[in-house]
Amino acid sequence: MAIHLKNLSFSYPEQPQQKVIDIEHWSLAQGEQVFLQGPSGCGKSTLLSLIGGLLVADAGEINVLGTDLTALSARERDAFRAQNIGFVFQQFNLIPYLSAVDNVRLALSFASQQKGNDPLFYINELFDQLAISQEDRHKATRLLSVGQQQRVAIVRALCNKPKLLIADEPTSALDQKNRDAFLSILKALTTEQKTSLLFVSHDLSLAKTFERTEQLALINQISGQN
Amino acid sequence: MLLKLALESLKDRKSSVVLAVIAMTISIFVLLAVEHVRSQTKKNFYSTVSGVDLIVGARTGQINLLLYSVFRLGQPTNNIRWQSFQQITQDDRVNWAIPISLGDSHKGYPVLGTDNRYFEHFKYAQQQALKLVKGHQFTSVFDVVIGANVATKLGYQLGDKITLSHGMSSTSFSQHDDLPFTVTGILAPTGTAVDQTLHVQLTALEAIHKGWHGGVKMANVKLTQTQLNGLKVNNITAFMLGLNSKMSTFQVQRAVNDFAQEPLTAILPGVALSQLWQMMRGLERALVMVTALVFIAASFGVSAMLLASIRERQKEIQLLRVIGAPAIKIILLILIEATVITLISIGLALFVLFICLNLLQSYLMVEFALHVHSNLITANNLYLLLGVLLTALFIAFIPAISGYQQTKKAW
Repeated sequence: MAIHLKNLSFSYPEQPQQKVIDIEHWSLAQGEQVFLQGPSGCGKSTLLSLIGGLLVADAGEINVLGTDLTALSARERDAFRAQNIGFVFQQFNLIPYLSAVDNVRLALSFASQQKGNDPLFYINELFDQLAISQEDRHKATRLLSVGQQQRVAIVRALCNKPKLLIADEPTSALDQKNRDAFLSILKALTTEQKTSLLFVSHDLSLAKTFERTEQLALINQISGQN
Repeated sequence: MLLKLALESLKDRKSSVVLAVIAMTISIFVLLAVEHVRSQTKKNFYSTVSGVDLIVGARTGQINLLLYSVFRLGQPTNNIRWQSFQQITQDDRVNWAIPISLGDSHKGYPVLGTDNRYFEHFKYAQQQALKLVKGHQFTSVFDVVIGANVATKLGYQLGDKITLSHGMSSTSFSQHDDLPFTVTGILAPTGTAVDQTLHVQLTALEAIHKGWHGGVKMANVKLTQTQLNGLKVNNITAFMLGLNSKMSTFQVQRAVNDFAQEPLTAILPGVALSQLWQMMRGLERALVMVTALVFIAASFGVSAMLLASIRERQKEIQLLRVIGAPAIKIILLILIEATVITLISIGLALFVLFICLNLLQSYLMVEFALHVHSNLITANNLYLLLGVLLTALFIAFIPAISGYQQTKKAW
């Protein structure tokens, strides 16, 4: 199992009475690609933070890639995230004043154990596949176009060969043409690496290329009540 | 990688970082300059006299005696009879003695009457003897040996003729202009009051005061050679003693204080010097305090800058968390940034101060007789800079903790 949630509940300490997440059961198989559709305000970011180990559940079980996150310490969760989970967001995926290469190196520096023999060789391959030119790799990423930035974000997210990739509205800042190209390369790369993909978006039109589509509003029993 | 991130991040916020560095540099510069000059002044102060076991003058306070005999400041209360001087120096415990006579001046610089024993026995700093860079000691009555500052400020060369003024004012109306002196020796700089002094023979002082009564010149005097040879010294202002054994210092001091023929005071120069320095202690502390406060203000300035930057960098910090940075590394990142700013400021402050000291060294020497080394790498300064770094780091915990709190939020 890539993700397995059971009787998960969470509320923010500021409002302990109001549950933000209440999920009875949900799972994602290893290597599976799922489209999770949900409008903003239905606990989407909170759920992804929980799966990434940035937030700690009040009750229930979060099992990611066979590891029970609730049993890990804060530092262990950080290391686990660096090692196993890649993230791509709508925007601000990169440190704007660092080059693409340094952004990737930074991400690698937090993942202590390096998988594979030569990560840099693999990274150059990824840059090639995503059509980031040698010159662009060494520019501050703020100088790149939005489309290029999102592609560098994929390299950053996949540089460590994570087993799970979480994409949160990664295409919302892109135009139609870039969006389709982005989506197809993301799917191709995750399929090739056998990486599980949790793709979250409000835009149902993107769902057609996914085998499995889920509604967060149906999974998270809390959001229906609001 | 974290260091690189910190450096790139600082580069990205160049304008505010540059301002923070300037504020920090100025405060560290002031702190360092004050501390350096203070410690050098103190060292100079204690270097003024060395190897002298006792200073003897007419009955007075020990600070007053020290001030006029060593620093040529203030007025002697009374003179000592020459017989008393001779009687005391005949004591077996006394190794050597230097008689000194003060009261005249030349263009505002004090004139010290003494004899060749002065050049032989007077020591300053770490037992350093006086050295002549040009010329020789006294050979005839109207020879004058001048200090380094006197020579440079007044531009005197060997062989120049000068006249002395009665009293200490530089615009004295009473001139000893009938009996000129000849510059026969120039001393090497010492960083002490010696540099500001003109040294003449005691007999010469007697000669120029012939025909004077109550500080007023009654008649011009012409002295014949036989009269000059027959000059006798009647009074001196004070004298310095070197003893055969340090152990007898207190015995001799008591003997002098109990001297039956004349009321005298003997002081230990080291004790008197530290007592005098104690009087300046409050001022010294206040100075250090003010500079320390300036520095702390600058540290808070840097922290305020970092704190403001953290608000702007909320997204960046969250991104770092997402790619796996543990909270401790976020704190570390902010502390590294504060350290880099502080280290750059320390480097700049040292550099600027080094340049300033090199440029001002001769000026300080000439104007204030202050011997300031441009060597800033002293143990004292290193401790000070370590303190600076630790203080800056300590204050940088404020933004660091704020940065850490950002990590607690979901994106």
